[in-house]
Amino acid sequence: MIISRQKDFEEIKHAIDMYGRKVFVVGCGSCAALCQVGGTEQVKEMVQKLVDAGYEVTGSVVLDEVCDNRIVKKELRKVKDQVDEADAFLTLSCGIGGQSLVVVHAEKPMVQGTDTIFMGMTERIGRWSQKCRACGQCFLNETGGICPITACAKSMLNGPCGGTVDGKCEAHNYEEPCGWIRIYERLKALGKLELFSKYREPLDWSELGRQQKHYVR
Amino acid sequence: MPERPFSNLMRAIQEGKFVFTGELEPGKSANVQPVVEEALRLKRGGCVAGNVTQNPKADACISSLAASHLIQQRAEFEVVYQLTVRDFNRMALVSEILGAHALGLRNILALTGDHPACGDTPRSMPCYDLDSTHLVRLVREMVDQHSAFGQKLKKKWGAFPELHVGCAGNPNADPLEPEVLKIGRKAGYAEFMQTQVVYDVETAIRFCKAVEKYKIPILMGIFPMKNYPTAKGFDMYVPGVSVPTEVLDAFKEVHKGGYDEATKAKKYDELNVEFFAPLIQELKDKGLVAGIHVMAVQYARVIPMLMERLK
Repeated sequence: MIISRQKDFEEIKHAIDMYGRKVFVVGCGSCAALCQVGGTEQVKEMVQKLVDAGYEVTGSVVLDEVCDNRIVKKELRKVKDQVDEADAFLTLSCGIGGQSLVVVHAEKPMVQGTDTIFMGMTERIGRWSQKCRACGQCFLNETGGICPITACAKSMLNGPCGGTVDGKCEAHNYEEPCGWIRIYERLKALGKLELFSKYREPLDWSELGRQQKHYVR
Repeated sequence: MPERPFSNLMRAIQEGKFVFTGELEPGKSANVQPVVEEALRLKRGGCVAGNVTQNPKADACISSLAASHLIQQRAEFEVVYQLTVRDFNRMALVSEILGAHALGLRNILALTGDHPACGDTPRSMPCYDLDSTHLVRLVREMVDQHSAFGQKLKKKWGAFPELHVGCAGNPNADPLEPEVLKIGRKAGYAEFMQTQVVYDVETAIRFCKAVEKYKIPILMGIFPMKNYPTAKGFDMYVPGVSVPTEVLDAFKEVHKGGYDEATKAKKYDELNVEFFAPLIQELKDKGLVAGIHVMAVQYARVIPMLMERLK
């Protein structure tokens, strides 16, 4: 899931003001709804705040997935007049959703209402933790199912650094566990400690360092 | 493979001499002269080389490469250039290694580097393109195979890098096994090891025995304390290492004893020698270490006192 949080309202207003006073609000019923920034309730709250601040909200929708160009195209066609009337979209989805709107509706400015933080796991309602950095070279099969790129603050591939004290990580003020100690303990429990000692080559950044595309057909 | 050694440090280790190295911390300043003067004190004190730190505790300081070169040039004292993977990507690391040789540096200590979140530019992007294991192997590839990530160095220009590479070790690591296994990945590549500070001889012995099989000469880290505030600060603020209570109490007694400055200094020196000399002696007698890495910053005068006490 993609975790995002709402931007400060002043920042949102400032961004809208660059284009006008009429807004069409787009929420997302997928990740953004689950992390409580773009679901029905948050969209409703945002509409009210905008109206209270003197903006005209021409309409609002919560799409199943704003990141899917097809859904955006199909659903916004149904509210074309409201969209046309607006000076800008306000998107309460992740940054991918915002850009999806830009792709489908290139003619209209888009104001991003959230900051996308990370790809994460839901621990319980209101609590998420980062689990993957999308390196494209997954190490989980070698590290007991714990991602060293994410769990280690230094993304080390060959064991813990010297900043580990009592199994805790210096980058987290010794309050969070060291990712590599977790990997060590897990591999030990699985009887696969030989994987811990394996030498791993550096990450390949040749694709990672630039915008990627993935086509299966 | 080129003929070794390239440095005084490695020559001394290979000759079986019991070596001392010191620590030099260039600061957040464009002036390296105070560190040059400290280097001269280490040299006079009998150290074979001094480590020049790179942005220690992730505080942005003068370039370690520049400081290393100037120290070596002005103090005529060999340095161990500390190089971290925190501050350079692999491209820049190749440049640093070539530059280090060109500037006459002959020892590199390959480190991960404290996380930027710990330092004074916490908004920095942490680099960590490589890890310390990769860096150790990169130096060896450049020195022994004259290539970097498979790309050949310019042969017709000559001057291939000739540097020794060392790694760090942490005898206090708990659990110790992952630390040992990590060092194992550097075995056959790292030519020396300098460790985190130890205060307990048993901890030091346990560590040395655990990594003995890798045959990396060890310079065990110690931290003689210049005075009580230094000792207390170290005890409080250096995670994972604590100064034994009885040592701390003895230092406190000197601090509060109403002595004049000269007497105080003498008493602190005596306490350090009394505490560290037996620890060093035991490690030396057992043949577990190749020497000692003294991390006492601005306290070089204690080193010859420790050496004198050794049998």
